[in-house]
Amino acid sequence: MLLRSVFGKTIRDLRWPTLWVGLGMGAMTGYFALLFPTYSKLFDLNSMLEKMGPVAKLLGPGADASTLVGFLHIELFSMILPALIVAFAAGMASGFTAGEESRGTIDVLLSYPVSRRRVVLEKAAAVVIGCVIAATAVWVMALAGAAASSSPLPPDRLAEALVMLVLLGLAFGAIALAISAATGNRAAAIGVAIALMVVMYLIDALAAIVDGLRSIQPLSLFRYYMGNDPLRNGLSLTDAAVLAAVTAVFLMAALVAFDRRDLAA
Amino acid sequence: MTAAIETEKLTKYYGRARGIMDVDLTVEAGQIFGFLGPNGAGKSTTIRLLLDLIRPTSGSARVLGMDVHRDRLAIDRRVSYVPGELSLYPELTGRQLLTYLGNLQGRVDAEYREKLIERLELDTTKRIKSLSRGNKQKVGLVAAFMIRPDLLILDEPTAGLDPFIQLEFESLCEEARAEGRTVFISSHQLPEVEHLCDRVGIIREGRLLAVESIAALKERALRRLEIDFGSEVPVAAFAGLLGVRDLTVDGETLRCTVMGSLDSLVKAAAQFEVRNVRSVETSLEEIFLAYYGSGDGTMGKEAANAAA
Repeated sequence: MLLRSVFGKTIRDLRWPTLWVGLGMGAMTGYFALLFPTYSKLFDLNSMLEKMGPVAKLLGPGADASTLVGFLHIELFSMILPALIVAFAAGMASGFTAGEESRGTIDVLLSYPVSRRRVVLEKAAAVVIGCVIAATAVWVMALAGAAASSSPLPPDRLAEALVMLVLLGLAFGAIALAISAATGNRAAAIGVAIALMVVMYLIDALAAIVDGLRSIQPLSLFRYYMGNDPLRNGLSLTDAAVLAAVTAVFLMAALVAFDRRDLAA
Repeated sequence: MTAAIETEKLTKYYGRARGIMDVDLTVEAGQIFGFLGPNGAGKSTTIRLLLDLIRPTSGSARVLGMDVHRDRLAIDRRVSYVPGELSLYPELTGRQLLTYLGNLQGRVDAEYREKLIERLELDTTKRIKSLSRGNKQKVGLVAAFMIRPDLLILDEPTAGLDPFIQLEFESLCEEARAEGRTVFISSHQLPEVEHLCDRVGIIREGRLLAVESIAALKERALRRLEIDFGSEVPVAAFAGLLGVRDLTVDGETLRCTVMGSLDSLVKAAAQFEVRNVRSVETSLEEIFLAYYGSGDGTMGKEAANAAA
């Protein structure tokens, strides 16, 4: 049934990575939610944060270890989950056109009545579905963990934070897609996307303690992902729009670049 | 009638490296056309230009009367392609792959597809990655034929096929021709396709040297002849005979190459005592090389004109 279209075929290709990333991120989040009360009894987490002094600022404005929301923010949403979703989205997106090119399957695929643009769009749509499935797994397992440990975790706020997480992943995915579509080089696409993520993460985190970085903080996509502390305050439509716009721009670039280029033999 | 393929001064450079230059190729509909040339001559470049996978540096190409870039999807609905380096999705079984490609195409003659699978003895339950090169090629051929395209573009299609399957492949091509479809086959070996093709074009170092019908080539069949005489013969007796070239007389033995009819040579020889005649008919490949083998496109054309 999935072999009906490029979209379906891509979903099929992504089924195992999506399952593992979804289960992995979900299990991690559920685990922290489940064990949070035990942790906070065993360790005085907030006094540990105070001892860290200014370095604690690196964890962002939502760093408050006395609640599950703050704890999840520190432990997962500030770094691990974004890194995972970006690696997932960029990894998948970089492999699409570049992967079909290096494997040589693009010649056969494009000899069927499917335009180059449609190939890119359908594959991109499959990544959106993959990210949404993975985020949904996190939502379900985190709420299950929180319910089991009777820790308060507002489902709507969690959903909003996960929407921002997906948007962040898609933005980096679109960057990787554009590089891969323009060059046919998968390694370059994923390398640049991951390097950009690390640099942008550092800019956003270090801007809290290094004044000089504050002027370039708006260049970091993490600013829009984290800026409003979505897990506590809900998502900011402006921030979400910025991430969506970045995704759209790079997706357009991918479409145009792939349409114009000579494909590798 | 619209030509199946028509290129005009089609040229492709990869940076500064040569792809093809000024290729003017016309393939009439309803033919089996052989596109011949050594590896690296520009066969695949030409084919990938026809499929819009790469874009020309200059010149233009039309397939089934449509522009290869502007009318891409309309062309794809009526054309099948099997690349030389055939890569298929390794994780799918043959059956799944045919399902996927059939769905992308939109229309498949399912009954014909099953018949093709049977005729080419394809095991569709195996994953592509576990198939040998020849079996992969069979999947590609079933996929190409099952949509009953108006034009089949096959890049080195017979590589890796066992002889029995190759015969089956040839009858598939002939059936397609009988239905008025066009088959375009590239190959680096003339003997592989000479009995199958109506016409052949030869490409060398990026230039199309000539397009000939197989029948015309055969009329020009070259024979190498050696005649032993009972006594020494004068060279002058054989000079200037029609169709005779490379003439040498070494005492009692005459050696030469004859194009076309042997009549004038035999009549000239008859005035002497002939002891033995040895004749070797050359392959079409040798004929091609004799005419176009210089490798230089302009010289090849002169030779072709002189021969015409």
